[in-house]
Amino acid sequence: MLIYLTGRSGRLHGLNPITKVMLTLVVIVCGFVLPGVWATWLVFGSIVLPLSLWGGIAGPLLRAVARITLPFAISLFVIQGLFFPGGTPILSLGPVSFKAEGLQFALLFASRLFLLSSAFMLLLLTTHPGLLMLALVQRGLPANLAYIIVATLQIVPRFQARAASILDAQRARGLETTGSLLRRLRAIVPLVGPLVLGSLVDVEERAIAIEARGFSLRRPKTSLIDIPDSRAEKGLRRGLIVAPVVLIVARLAGWLR
Amino acid sequence: MIALDAVTYTYPATAQPALREVSLSIPDGQFCAVIGANGAGKSTLCYALSGFIPHFFRGELSGRIRIDDVDTQAVSLAELVQRVGLVFQNPFNQMSGAKFTVREEVAFGLENLGVPRAEMQTRIARTLERVGIADLADRSPFALSGGQQQRVAIASMLAMDPRVLVLDEPTSQLDPIGAREVFETIRALIEERGTTVILAEHKLEWIAAFADRLVVLANGRIVMDSSPRQVLTAPELERYHIGAPRYVQAARAAREIGLWPADRDLPVTLDEATEGFSSSSSLNSTRLDLRNSRNSGN
Repeated sequence: MLIYLTGRSGRLHGLNPITKVMLTLVVIVCGFVLPGVWATWLVFGSIVLPLSLWGGIAGPLLRAVARITLPFAISLFVIQGLFFPGGTPILSLGPVSFKAEGLQFALLFASRLFLLSSAFMLLLLTTHPGLLMLALVQRGLPANLAYIIVATLQIVPRFQARAASILDAQRARGLETTGSLLRRLRAIVPLVGPLVLGSLVDVEERAIAIEARGFSLRRPKTSLIDIPDSRAEKGLRRGLIVAPVVLIVARLAGWLR
Repeated sequence: MIALDAVTYTYPATAQPALREVSLSIPDGQFCAVIGANGAGKSTLCYALSGFIPHFFRGELSGRIRIDDVDTQAVSLAELVQRVGLVFQNPFNQMSGAKFTVREEVAFGLENLGVPRAEMQTRIARTLERVGIADLADRSPFALSGGQQQRVAIASMLAMDPRVLVLDEPTSQLDPIGAREVFETIRALIEERGTTVILAEHKLEWIAAFADRLVVLANGRIVMDSSPRQVLTAPELERYHIGAPRYVQAARAAREIGLWPADRDLPVTLDEATEGFSSSSSLNSTRLDLRNSRNSGN
């Protein structure tokens, strides 16, 4: 669940999470506002790639992005190539043919997807989720929402562990969990029951636990962790707002084709 | 001062009340233990004392619960948690899930209270030290043993500095050493800071050694309320499905065959048992020296 890379005190790790969130959003906006495939790769090559190298996460980033985008890209090329309405056929395989416009469209879409996921990876791989949520709460994200996100990250692995132990327990009592589809479906019932009921009890107790610690107090919360925010970063963030605004205006004015 | 005045409470969708006409008044700084068979109402009493009844569990409540002369029904739960801390049985479910290290976990309550950072750091360091988990400060709360997690839960409450601490079977998932540490922590708290402690617990030897007062619950009613010595040596204790402590049982059996002086009180602690058996002339003649085997008790 946690894809944050620990143990790498790279320079990106030390940046304020808000700076990284803005950077990610700016990269995405630029990639989508600039026309054409070349612009997408220009943004990747000039911003995302150098930053990931600087932060020492280029390898894991490219691997993660490839895993996300490759399946999408393949299906995009096949489906758009074959079924793009109209278009010029460039390669025929028996009754079906790939169309040039379809492939172009798929290339653009896959490139943007690549940029989008690489921008998010840049943020997620270098930002501790707790710190990210803290920074967002300090900027007005409701604390309840942040709690749900962070608690899910931590509790889902425990939930999976419990599911595994219930599965083992029921198997030890002779439950058949392999074989035909029908048999597998039947096996779900004795697994889901204890899992759901047990989780409901857990939810109640955890609600008591966080209430007992004053979670619902209506007063300004403080924070143990101090998120560093240098003047340079504040300046950088102001600069980051300018880029997409300029691009959007330019696009609307028709300067970018 | 905590006072329950004729409190009867029924959980939603149940027919029988979990507490019946319970009246109990606990002065500041008292260490009051609560015992009773499973289902006797111990947890319900703990929830009533900490404000979770009626604020969290709906159900039907009659009577009054007051903490420092504040009616718990008149204020919000968020107000109450600043006065009363609650620690319960399952250590895992007491971890907030919002935090990634023990230090941050203990900070969670303080952050909600709005404690400034510098003070938070001092309080956390002091509390972790007091509960004996300073070495775990940077570990994930979910990567700890049950006993360690329970101490994190207690530390989280103590850091918030409540005047009253309610503990619902906090040592049921701890090993004997962990349990001893918890009890000694509680004792130190009372002595150093005058914290009022209400503890539901099964470990009678500990209660006998540490508590000021012992309340017995049966079927939602308070059936005994006295000093631990009087309650634990009373013959009627078994009627409420609570076995007498081992020392009491041993001395009773010994008295029947003349090995425990008939005029001597039954012992509730190891020290008293040792002393009593040592003074018994017939035992001395067998040269049984219990003092040499003192370490084996827990």
